Amino acid sequence: MQSHIYEPVIGLEVHIQLLTQSKAFCGDDISFGAEANSQTSTISLAHPGTLPRANKKQVELAIRLGIALGCEITSTTYFDRKHYFYADLPKGFQTTQDSRPICMGGTIEVGEGTSRREIRIHHIHMEEDAGKSIHDQSSEGSLIDYNRAGVPLLELVTEPDLRSSEEVYQFINKLRQLVRYLDVSDGNMEEGSLRADCNVSIRPKGSSELNTRCEIKNINSARFAARAVDFEIRRQSEILEKGGTIIQETREYSPGDDRTVPLRGKEEAHDYRYFPEPDLPPLSISDEMLRKVKSSLPILPAQWHNKFTTEFGLSIYDADLLVEHREIAQSFDTLLQKSPDIQPSLLSKLYINKIIPHCNESGISIGEFEVPGQHIVSFLELIETDKISTSVAYQKLWPALLETKEHPQLLAQKLNLIQSFDEDYIAESVKLVLIENPAKVEAYKKGKKALLSFFIGQVMRKTNGKANPQITRKILQSELNSSTD
Amino acid sequence: MIQVSGKNYRCLDDIQKGLKGGDLTSVQLVQAYLREVKANTHLNAYVEVYENEAMTAARDLDERIHTSSAKLGPLFGAVLSVKDVIAQENHHLTAGSRILEGYTSIYTATAVQRLLDADAIIIGRVNCDEFAMGSDNRTSVYGPVRNGEHQEHVPGGSSGGSAVSVQVNTCLASIGSDTGGSVRQPASFCGLIGFKPSYGRISRHGLIAYGSSFDQIGVIGKKLDDVTKIYEVMKGVDDYDATLIDPLMVEDRPIRKKLAYLKDAVEHPSLQPEIRETFLKKVKSLQARDIEVQPVDFELIDYLIPAYYVLTSAEASSNLSRYDGLRYGRRSPHATTLLESYSKTRTEGFGLEVKRRILLGTFVLSVGYYDAYFAKAQKVRRLIKAQISRVLAEYDGLLLPTTPRTAWKLGAEMSPVQIYLSDVFSVLANLVGFPAISLPMGKDVENLPFGIQLISGTFQEHLLFVYSKLILDDEDSVVETI
Repeated sequence: MQSHIYEPVIGLEVHIQLLTQSKAFCGDDISFGAEANSQTSTISLAHPGTLPRANKKQVELAIRLGIALGCEITSTTYFDRKHYFYADLPKGFQTTQDSRPICMGGTIEVGEGTSRREIRIHHIHMEEDAGKSIHDQSSEGSLIDYNRAGVPLLELVTEPDLRSSEEVYQFINKLRQLVRYLDVSDGNMEEGSLRADCNVSIRPKGSSELNTRCEIKNINSARFAARAVDFEIRRQSEILEKGGTIIQETREYSPGDDRTVPLRGKEEAHDYRYFPEPDLPPLSISDEMLRKVKSSLPILPAQWHNKFTTEFGLSIYDADLLVEHREIAQSFDTLLQKSPDIQPSLLSKLYINKIIPHCNESGISIGEFEVPGQHIVSFLELIETDKISTSVAYQKLWPALLETKEHPQLLAQKLNLIQSFDEDYIAESVKLVLIENPAKVEAYKKGKKALLSFFIGQVMRKTNGKANPQITRKILQSELNSSTD
Repeated sequence: MIQVSGKNYRCLDDIQKGLKGGDLTSVQLVQAYLREVKANTHLNAYVEVYENEAMTAARDLDERIHTSSAKLGPLFGAVLSVKDVIAQENHHLTAGSRILEGYTSIYTATAVQRLLDADAIIIGRVNCDEFAMGSDNRTSVYGPVRNGEHQEHVPGGSSGGSAVSVQVNTCLASIGSDTGGSVRQPASFCGLIGFKPSYGRISRHGLIAYGSSFDQIGVIGKKLDDVTKIYEVMKGVDDYDATLIDPLMVEDRPIRKKLAYLKDAVEHPSLQPEIRETFLKKVKSLQARDIEVQPVDFELIDYLIPAYYVLTSAEASSNLSRYDGLRYGRRSPHATTLLESYSKTRTEGFGLEVKRRILLGTFVLSVGYYDAYFAKAQKVRRLIKAQISRVLAEYDGLLLPTTPRTAWKLGAEMSPVQIYLSDVFSVLANLVGFPAISLPMGKDVENLPFGIQLISGTFQEHLLFVYSKLILDDEDSVVETI
């Protein structure tokens, strides 16, 4: 098999469920997990004579995401009807946008360094979700839950610009991060707040043709999307290798056996008979509204990332982790602004190794973290001024600080953790360690110099970590070397 | 007009005076109407009579009339019928269709709620063409309605039951809907006043949709004053209909004492000669009363029907998609799969004319035909609107006959296209969204009535009412005084 000669061409359609209070065209509640059909009304059930009304929040959130992605916001946008019959579609059409989507263009960057690429967004449009058919709960037939019918969505459609599963993975994660930053969506993929359809085709490397594609529908994880794309590339390559042809079809990814399979009951070619929704007048997006939304945008992950790496000199890896959530980036930056003497890399290590994991484990947000900022600052000062070693600080002082929330300086004294620079005190412990480990001393003298760190560790243990490591090392070396004579 | 204890009550004003003065009680009034309902069941105007409910409302109203502190709504004493396409909570609603057999509405249309809040009494639900698609009330699942004064003739449609219920005095007025003339044409066929307000004037919330960008609730009555009073109560913004226009945004304009009439309509080959003669006489009499009335050209006249039927059928095919028997209404008992359930429910539930329009609408929206039909018809609609707007920027109103001919016989064999063409003068107001009124104008050799229609600029209903008074030959009314 020579699949390496093929290059994949991938386009995504991502459905984003919006953080509104109510449905797209009526006042029904949309919170997750409610009892089946408890969040419905005459409008969402399409009773005779009911009419839609546009949810302003949906429009605002669409503009918010559009501006953040550098899209052009359509000044007069309108809804269209998309017709098909299905049991979970109450009106017999979906209210969506076809000819005049609210956002056009825009980009998302994937990759780092030389492999950094801009993925173009074709458009973002507003639409409503359908209900949910449940086929396995009743022997008499299928059940339908209309709670989801009419829930507001955005659909983001990319150009076929993605070239690998890794890029797909990054794209979805970046988008998810962004919608969370913007409070546009909770981005919860497990609950279906973000769902991706991947359109995959392959072509000989270097070619610019677009070949027959397959669409893998409704993937609810970035990892699964990447895997589905990988499988699809392999599957299509194998078909072409054997001289076969790709059939255009809709497939679904099955995570259990890590493969894509054709969707059962293959749909016929639909004619959706789109036409402008006559019950909703066109929406004019005023400059004032654009200005308002623009001024309400938070600092975006890319902006934080840029600041953290260039201004604070953090590594890309650290910056990636810190900008993952808006609240973390914000709190990190605030703390640094307040204490310009702190080394950013020290604070970043503390965030990444201690604070963020602690918050995740206790299920609290960074804003709810119990240790006050000034304590964090003085904790780091103890390390920076060598009053306490990094390892002691992390292993001993930090847990105590979390527990007592006392001032780190006082706490370190109380726990007797302040480093000792007293050479006599350290030399005493060194002597004891050497006496207790004659065999190791012998081995060292025979050339096993790596044992030095073992001796340092033993001294640390004896002194409860208080011995200054540099002084300990110096004394140990002189003791061990002198006794060779 | 309704007679109670030997006294005639010609209009709402008479009734309200009677009720307040103690000559009349609401109970007597409703009983009198109910007698007329029973005497006219052979006309098939009513689908359901709310006898007990109307009597209860009447007793309640009588009590309040005699309580000095009680506030009475502006429509107290108005007993109305409502077309079977407008929702009222806990009342059946079927749009004259088998597909909604047994359906009970779980909410009330905004317009109906406002009528009830204004102390109107609703006496029953009246027959109409299935989903308001038809021009002679012959497509209803309940069978045809007969014209009250010419029982071998149709009453017009689709609000045929509404017109007949007023014609034979079973109620003061009726609430209908008008998508292409469904209020004005039956009014014309029955010698009544039929009024369709501007698109966006009365909330469509609770009105079963046929052509969403054409539909408007209207009133059929005998007296202009009654019609305007009922309209005033129903009109105005509503959170449940996004297409309503805020009246504050509408410019008022002065009266110019200038009307136009469509020369191409008056010279149209389909126009019955008596209607043409009477119409031209009417023009002369208005001119004699110091109103400038000028003929204007309208060469797009033969595009009205094609544009109207392409667009309304397209919207109807979409609007009627919801009737699938899944959540409400009648579901075919003969289906075993979902697809079969759709096709059988809709095949058994819809009548011939509704199916014809769904198919036509589906066709004109299909890939490959959209541009040739739907998009083209939209362009024609825009052209028509631009042309009529230009006329109405210069003139206060536009006169034309309501219909090319008078009511045909119940058994008349007519092709669908022949019937469609009979709407040629009434669809204009819906294509442009402007208010229009049909007023009784005369009778033909068979003594069948016909109407004259006046269209004014959008949201200029007040102009319609001013000129309507004049046209109705109310000698006392002069334009300046209103």
